[in-house]
Amino acid sequence: MNNLSQIWSKRFNHYLNEVQKYMRFVFTGHLAIVLVFVIGAVGYQYSEWLNVVDSSFPAEWVVGGIVGVVLVFSRPTTLLKEPDQVYLLPLETKMGYYFKKALQWSFFSQVGLASVVYIVSIPLLNEVTELTTTKIWLGLLLVITLKLLNLHSEFNFRYALRGKWVLLDRLIRIVFSILAIQTLLTDNNLLAIIYLILLFFYNLIWRKSANDQPIPYEHFVKLEQNRMMGFYRFANYFTDVPHITGGIHRRSWLSFLYLLVPYTKNNTQGYLVFRTFIRTDEHFYLWLRLTAISGIVAAFVNIPVVTLIVTAALSFATTIQLKYALLSSKEFRMDMLFPIGENLRVKAVHKLIRTVVFLQAIVVLICLIGQPLFYVPPIVVFIISELTYHLTKNPAKNIY
Amino acid sequence: MAVLELSNVTGGYTRKPVIKDLNFTIGQGELVGLIGLNGAGKSTTIKHIIGTLIPQQGEIKINGISLKQDIDTYRSSFSYIPETPVLYDELTLKEHLELTAMAYGIDEKTMKERASRLLSEFRMEKRLNWFPSHFSKGMRQKVMIMCAFLVNPHLYIIDEPFVGLDPLGIQSLLDQMDEKKKEGASILMSTHILSTAEKHCDRIILLHDGRVRAQGTMKDLRNAFNMPNATLDDLYIAMTKEQDNE
Repeated sequence: MNNLSQIWSKRFNHYLNEVQKYMRFVFTGHLAIVLVFVIGAVGYQYSEWLNVVDSSFPAEWVVGGIVGVVLVFSRPTTLLKEPDQVYLLPLETKMGYYFKKALQWSFFSQVGLASVVYIVSIPLLNEVTELTTTKIWLGLLLVITLKLLNLHSEFNFRYALRGKWVLLDRLIRIVFSILAIQTLLTDNNLLAIIYLILLFFYNLIWRKSANDQPIPYEHFVKLEQNRMMGFYRFANYFTDVPHITGGIHRRSWLSFLYLLVPYTKNNTQGYLVFRTFIRTDEHFYLWLRLTAISGIVAAFVNIPVVTLIVTAALSFATTIQLKYALLSSKEFRMDMLFPIGENLRVKAVHKLIRTVVFLQAIVVLICLIGQPLFYVPPIVVFIISELTYHLTKNPAKNIY
Repeated sequence: MAVLELSNVTGGYTRKPVIKDLNFTIGQGELVGLIGLNGAGKSTTIKHIIGTLIPQQGEIKINGISLKQDIDTYRSSFSYIPETPVLYDELTLKEHLELTAMAYGIDEKTMKERASRLLSEFRMEKRLNWFPSHFSKGMRQKVMIMCAFLVNPHLYIIDEPFVGLDPLGIQSLLDQMDEKKKEGASILMSTHILSTAEKHCDRIILLHDGRVRAQGTMKDLRNAFNMPNATLDDLYIAMTKEQDNE
C-alpha cells in the first residue's frame, strides 16, 4: 500500500511540474491578454443580454444542456505509463488504492469547470425563473454530485469494456445529466432525484462488471498518452515542446505535387522533402494555418497597409519555420549516408518552400481581387520569403 | 586489393577512444564476422566505417579510397543495415525503395526488377503502400535489408541482422548474402549469434575492449587459442575468461 501511495505521489508531482512548466509559457504569452479581453467582452455582452431577455426563454433546458455537455466529458486522469503494464502487474489486486487517488484528483481537477459554468448561469436563472436562492444553490450541489457520478461511471465503463462503446456511454449519461438538472430547475425535485438514482445504479452496474476484469492497462495508457499529447500540442503553439511526435497522414489528394520531383538522382532529397512536408501534420498544418490567416486578413481587412504588413510577416513566419523544421535534425537518417551532394537537401527545401509560398501568394491574390493594387501583397509575400530563405543561416550547418 | 581496409584506427564518441588501433581488411567476395561482447566496440567500428564518426587516428579505405578523398564514391561503394531499423515514418515501403534507388543513381527499370525480386523473397509484396507505423520490428528490418540489397554495392555492412527476423526472414537474408558473395561482393557482419557466424563466415574478427583480440578462419582461431575442435562459442568464452584473468 505504501508503495503505491509513493508511486502515485511521485507521478502526481511530476505531472504537476510538467503542466506548470508549459503553462508558464502559455500564460506569459499574448494569450493571457487576449483571454482577459475576450472574457471581458463576453461578460459585458452577457449582462447586456440579461437586461432584455424574454421570460419565456427556456433557461432550464439551456442550462441543463450546457452543463450536461460539460459533465459528460469526464475522462479519468490515471497517470498510468506504458511500462506499468509490466512493472505494476504483480500489484494488480492492490491497484484499487491507486485508482482511488487518481479518481480523487480527476474529480477535483474537473469539478471546477462544471461548477463555474453553472455559477455563470445563475444570473440568468434569477432573471428568467422563479426559483428560490436555496434551490439555485441546491442546483450547484446537484451539478457537483453529477460530476462525481459521471466521472466514476466513465471510469468503470472504460474499465469494464476496455475502451469500447464510449460514445454510447456518453449518450446515456448526457441524457440522465440533462434531465436531472432540467427537472430540478423546473421544481420537480422527485424526478430529479430519480434520475440521480438511475445514474447511481448505472455506475454500480459497470463497477460490478469492472470488478471481474483485469486492469485494461493498454486502454488507460493510450488514453493518458493522448491526453498528454493533446496538452503538448497545445503548448507547442507557444514554445518548443520536445515530446511532440506529430501524426502522419497520406493526403493523397495532394499527390499531384509529387510530379514536381520526378525520378532522378538529383531529386532524391526533393522526393523526400515534398513527402515529409505534405504528410507530416505538424509541417502541413503550420502552412495551412498561416495561409488561412493570410487569406482571411486579405479578404476582410480593408486597410491596405495592414494587409501588406500582416501577409508579409506571415510569409516570413512560414519560410523560417519550415526552413528550421526541415533542415535541422539531430537524429540519424539514412539519407545522411546517401552518395549525393551535401547541398541537395538545402536546394530541395528551398524548392519546397518556394512552391508552398507561391500557393500562399495565390491565396492572398484571390482574396484581394477587386481591391486597388491587389497584386502588390502577393508579390511582397514571395519576395519576403526568398529574402528570408537566403538571409537566415542554415540550421543544418552545426550538426555535421 | 582489399575492398575494406582499416589501418591503425582509433576513435570514439568523445576524446576517450572506444576502439583502439584497429587493423583489418576484407577481401573481395569475403564474408567476415565481427564478434564481441556488448560494449566491445562493434557498433562504434561500424559507425567509423560508414562515416558518421571520424577516426581520431588512422585511416579507413573502401576500394582504396577514403571518405576524405571522394565522399560520393566512398558512400556509393557500400550499403548499411543498422541494428535498429531507421525508417521514414512518412514514406511507404515502395517509396523507401524508390528513394534509395534514386540516391544511388539506379534507373527506374533496374529498380523495379530488383525490387520485385526482393519483395517476393522477403514476402512483402502486399505491403508496398503501407507506412512503417503498421510494420512489426521484423518487417521494419526487412525494409532496411531490401533497401541495402537493392543498391548492389561492393560492400555490405550489416549490424546484428538476425535479431527480430523470423526463421524464414533469416534464411532469405542468408540466401541473399550468399548470392551477393558469389557475385563478388564483400560483407562485414556483426552478430551475437555465434553458431550462424561460425557456419557462414569465411573469417572472424574477435573484438574485445575496443581491440582486435584475434582474427582469421575458424582454423586460425582454434590454433591461436590452442583449442582444436572448439566451437566459436567455446573460443569466445575462452577469450573473455582469459581477459578477466589478466
